[in-house]
Amino acid sequence: MSGNMSGNTLIEGASACVAKAAVLVVEDDVLTRMATSEELRDYGYSVVEAANVDEALAVLHGPTRIDLVVTDMKMPGALDGAALAQHIRTELPFVKVVMISGQTPAPEVRRILDGYLPKPVAPADLASYVQELTPAHVSSKAS
Amino acid sequence: MTDAAAHSQQVVLVVEDEILVRMIIADYLRSCGYRVIEAVSADEAMIILQHRELEVDVVFSDVEMPGSMDGFELSRWLRANRPTVDVILAGSVARATDAAAELCDSGPIPKPYEPQLAADRIRQLMALRSARKKKV
Repeated sequence: MSGNMSGNTLIEGASACVAKAAVLVVEDDVLTRMATSEELRDYGYSVVEAANVDEALAVLHGPTRIDLVVTDMKMPGALDGAALAQHIRTELPFVKVVMISGQTPAPEVRRILDGYLPKPVAPADLASYVQELTPAHVSSKAS
Repeated sequence: MTDAAAHSQQVVLVVEDEILVRMIIADYLRSCGYRVIEAVSADEAMIILQHRELEVDVVFSDVEMPGSMDGFELSRWLRANRPTVDVILAGSVARATDAAAELCDSGPIPKPYEPQLAADRIRQLMALRSARKKKV
């Protein structure tokens, strides 16, 4: 799949002008995905939810702008979080990647990540972490 | 009171395996003021529906989905186990229309459906629920 024609490629460089960062949450556990996504929305982020890497790729190569991807490492399907991170680094280098995993990623994976959080991660802690990575976008949690 | 405020407590569970469809519908319903929970399959929907701390008002489901249940089976389970939850089936199979009509309050929304149509249908269901509760 080529990223050259994607919406994310087309708006490269424009995201810094937008006040509301767009986060793609990739997580196969529905309750974790829901809790994480709702917390990020409470912080003012625009959140897209993907249940696996295939869904994540469909979003990343679609018309919706994504600034940052929060992905689990282990997921069902042909590709895991590490493969997704590698794909993003190659095809969509301006998209930041934060990985959540119970196991420390291999050095070659860790090197391409913008952030790594060991499981378990409280949704609020993740939101604060994401906020640090996108300081230009969101200032505070919504009431 | 704005529409968003009026619907702030209403929870819609969107069950749809097509990510781009689910994303659009969910985003649209959130912009209408609903709390929207997303499920990629009926199996995921069941996890949400059986969670003690989550109260779902409306299930908005696709018909054809991978997994152990499709939208019809999910609707039957809801009718039997969660009769207060309203069901909207967005069917993609024409031959399923009659069966869907029996399960839904007023028939399925044909696919591809418009987000506004979905929001209008949910508002109608909410109004009916409110009217029923006042009568009790």
